[in-house]
Amino acid sequence: MATGQAAKGASEDWLSVWIGLLIFVLSLGVFVGADILGWGITTAVWTDLGKALAPVSKAYAGLGGIGSLVATYLFLLVVMTIGAAALKADLGKFVTGFTFVFWASYVCWIVGSWAYLAATADKLKAFGISWSLNLTAEAGFLVALIAGLVVGNLFPGLVEATREAIRPEWYIKTAIVILGGFLGVTAAEKLGLATAVMFRGLCAIIEAYLVYWAVVYFISRRYFKLSREWAAPLASGISICGVSAAIATAGAIKARPIVPIMISSLVVVFSCVELLILPFLAQAFLYTEPMVAGGWMGLAVKTDGAAVASGAITDALIRAKAFTMQGVKYQEGWIVGTTTTVKVFIDVFIGVWAFILAVIWTSAIERRPGERVSPRQIWDRFPKFVIGYVFTFLVILLVGLAAPGSLGKAKAAMGEANVFRGIFFVMTFFTIGALSNFSKLWEEGLGRLAAIYVVCLFGFIIWVGLLVSWIFFHGVKPPLVAG
Amino acid sequence: MADRPRMGDELKRMEEEPLLDVEKKLIGWSLIAGVVLLVILVWISYTFFPAH
Repeated sequence: MATGQAAKGASEDWLSVWIGLLIFVLSLGVFVGADILGWGITTAVWTDLGKALAPVSKAYAGLGGIGSLVATYLFLLVVMTIGAAALKADLGKFVTGFTFVFWASYVCWIVGSWAYLAATADKLKAFGISWSLNLTAEAGFLVALIAGLVVGNLFPGLVEATREAIRPEWYIKTAIVILGGFLGVTAAEKLGLATAVMFRGLCAIIEAYLVYWAVVYFISRRYFKLSREWAAPLASGISICGVSAAIATAGAIKARPIVPIMISSLVVVFSCVELLILPFLAQAFLYTEPMVAGGWMGLAVKTDGAAVASGAITDALIRAKAFTMQGVKYQEGWIVGTTTTVKVFIDVFIGVWAFILAVIWTSAIERRPGERVSPRQIWDRFPKFVIGYVFTFLVILLVGLAAPGSLGKAKAAMGEANVFRGIFFVMTFFTIGALSNFSKLWEEGLGRLAAIYVVCLFGFIIWVGLLVSWIFFHGVKPPLVAG
Repeated sequence: MADRPRMGDELKRMEEEPLLDVEKKLIGWSLIAGVVLLVILVWISYTFFPAH
């Protein structure tokens, strides 16, 4: 994670691949009749808290809700602590921090599943209530984000004490690796649509690099008089993919380390603001164009965590509104799948973009005689979690295509893995909020950088992203739920 | 963090660097490539990857 936690050992990127794959492989036990992860916790929308929690598989019903929750915590604590050891983190502090993050996040998830917040219009009667905010169970994500913001801004000492486990990028990348298998099932059922969504996602991100970057860089240099050292990483941070792009660009042009750190702080805070606003805008105005909304989140919201998280909320909000307003029940996962596709493609090209900038900087802008840029840096900067995502996606897709009769088992397996994806998601929301310390940025002197960010993001990027997403995804609809 | 300057101070002290020709070319060619590719990719998308 770029916000002050430089890993000294293994990278979070690779760890997210291994942890995601571990959960993915364990879930595949369903194919051979071994229900290995069935004890994982699920939370149903509730009016009676006593009935909210249960293991995901009926085979483990004897465990009960609390037993299942404790088992899930212990499993993740062990796995993540081994990961933290590989990162050479302070294990004592990590265990304390992770325990805090897990329980705080899961309490938020339970609160968000309260029927008055989460129940959709078709379920009100079943719950015996007359109204709800219609936010679906994903309301827990928003509750976690708000709780994280409260902790991050009002209890900075608590964040400091648990900082070893405040790692939203690690959590979201692990979740994305698991998400690959879930989306593989979805794609296997509608291969033509999935192929079109992936190709259009690839097209859309070309605009992110070529149009966004150039305009933000120009505005920063011409109108806000930023030096090249600040303008290039800022342009990448605002226009491409937040934290990782700012770091890659700063490395490519040999900016001082403080530059990407400051820009990353800004990116995280503004991502949080986007995460709170854009999904609701999408719900209000794009419920008739769900895939446009999904692509928009990927193009407009910075940082992997905030983008995929906003895709998940948008998925839930739009499906709820489409059902309420049009009586249309879209399948879950296609909107967040579109967001993830766009975001993953953006990540894939960060290394290439950094390489191009490095070549231009060393050969034409800040000539350094004899210095050559190695193409190896493309691989060095390649986001490795994408390998895990593509692997789980392809395995399930190929299994589904080769043996359509096994799709039921694949769904059950990914359903169990998805339990952990949901937990990583909610921990991502909580930790994004916890890292968004508005007062710290204020103390640093927001001034010009924040002004550029606001002008470019809200005046240009969000709307061009919407336009590009509309061009490529309008008229594309997720499949409907059968029956 | 007391050993590093505040971001605000750093930005106030920043000296203006004129926009070089190579930067103008980078910006210009990026935008041109972006618009041209947009047209090509939209055509490819709707021709070879219909989503309906």
